[in-house]
Amino acid sequence: MNVSTIKRFIALALAPSLVLYALFVFVPVIWSAYYSLFNWKGISEATFIGFQNYVELVQDDIFWRALKNNVVFVLASVLGQVPIALMLSIVLFKNNFFQRLLRTAVFMPMVLSTVVIGLIWSYIYHPQIGLLNFLLDFLKLGHLKLQWTSDANIAIYALIPPLIWSYVGLYLIIFISALQNIPNELNDAAKIDGATGLTKLVKITLPMIWGTIQVAIILCISGSLKSFDLVYIMTKGGPAHATELLATYMYNATFSTYRYGYGSTISTAIVIISLLLIGISQWLTNKPK
Amino acid sequence: MSKTILAQQQFRYKHTFQLKRIISYLAWILMIIYGMLTIYPLFWLMISAFKSNAQFFNEPFALPDQWNYSNFITAWTTSKMGRAFLNSTYVSLFALALTLFLSSLTSYVIARFSFKLKGATLLFFVIGMLIPIHSTLVPLFILMKQLKILNTHLALILPYTAFALPTAIFILTAYLREVPKEIEEAAYIDGASLWGVFFRIMLPISLPALSTVSILTFLHSWNDFSFALVFISKSTLKTLPLAVSNFADGFQVDYSLTLAAMTLSVVPTIIIYLLFQEQVMKGMTAGAVKG
Repeated sequence: MNVSTIKRFIALALAPSLVLYALFVFVPVIWSAYYSLFNWKGISEATFIGFQNYVELVQDDIFWRALKNNVVFVLASVLGQVPIALMLSIVLFKNNFFQRLLRTAVFMPMVLSTVVIGLIWSYIYHPQIGLLNFLLDFLKLGHLKLQWTSDANIAIYALIPPLIWSYVGLYLIIFISALQNIPNELNDAAKIDGATGLTKLVKITLPMIWGTIQVAIILCISGSLKSFDLVYIMTKGGPAHATELLATYMYNATFSTYRYGYGSTISTAIVIISLLLIGISQWLTNKPK
Repeated sequence: MSKTILAQQQFRYKHTFQLKRIISYLAWILMIIYGMLTIYPLFWLMISAFKSNAQFFNEPFALPDQWNYSNFITAWTTSKMGRAFLNSTYVSLFALALTLFLSSLTSYVIARFSFKLKGATLLFFVIGMLIPIHSTLVPLFILMKQLKILNTHLALILPYTAFALPTAIFILTAYLREVPKEIEEAAYIDGASLWGVFFRIMLPISLPALSTVSILTFLHSWNDFSFALVFISKSTLKTLPLAVSNFADGFQVDYSLTLAAMTLSVVPTIIIYLLFQEQVMKGMTAGAVKG
């Protein structure tokens, strides 16, 4: 087989993937950076306005609220999903029938569509016919009943349980495979030295999987930027922008108020913010070493 | 003297032993409660889908008085759920086939050949994984409008494939790197062509990795909502998640019908999950950790 045949094969094999990938993943990012410099309603001519959209963005209260809500989601994931998954994994890391069954149950929401998850939780929170208020009535705690997702003060927090519920399974499996990779000799040595229970957990188990915990935290950060579907289904960013995320705000700016230029500005902001967050989290977690 | 120490030790041992047992019982009870909490919303959905509207309002926690299968039939026929089901199947399978072919070919080249831009190619795919998917919605909408493929199946198949490629290439390249070189060298000596080696040796060998990629890609396309929401507005082209969400908006009052539609849309993924549990978990964690 001669060199030119191989070269041709390599080019032919790579070209379709590269073109498709570049066109649908890379080009859009560059395009939105370009369109963010225009005032464009989608139908009429686009007019170049320089960085005016960005000036508007940093003065836009809703943008900052959306960013704050994204941060709330990140914190909820890091402080909710990671500890719950870690506790579950310490109990469920062996492979007997019952443990497998519980793992299967906890991972299940991961394979469901977010639309269905969002709708189920909307029924749970529904003010009149919702399961939660019904349960509170039943327990004679009627005074605790709330308008869970339509009260602007609490709506964003009401979205946290479904968020945690859907992703704990992912972190559980990640932690379990890390725990199963701890060499048996280490556990034996710990036993001989008399380290059991909490001592063993703090001195051996946690340090051994610390790297995995770091990965999980980075995943929480990048994952929470992706939670568009859940919020869109449950509240559409409302009431009065109280649950707006960057992604829903971008969607609303573009497709509800037809400001394509401004929507592109928010898109570009999302890219920049997520790269910054990933960079910072990498830097923070690598520092102790 | 030594006797008392021994007795003390025994006492202490027994004591901690009991305490440990109580803690482990407690842990198990908590686990079981958590497990039930996780599964209950899904169980509730499926049970409620069989109820009449009246019972759904008045006894949300009860089992159905009557098992109304008709909810499912009505949801399937009158509400275009059947159509949406077909659309989802078509789009997901098409994107899956395209992803498998393109990613295995690319991974074969990256894992088994050396060429000048190899490192750059891999880096290009890896960097793209940092791009948040929703930031591409607006520009992709504009791009597809100009390509005139908005409101076609291609508007979903192409981005699903493009976004599935990085993970697929990541998994397959790692797998193919481990395959010993001798296997293909023997084939070349026997006069096999590059395409022949790819189809007859590389594809069959990477079957375990391909199955992981398949499940992952299929579930992602099947469950996707945001691309469908933005790129599809024609009702005959809507996929299940989009159809279900529109259905919930439109049939606000007819809850049991909406619940039946939701159940119909989750049944296939749950079946896949229960059948291929190990691969689903492996694929989803690999897909997440890679970024």
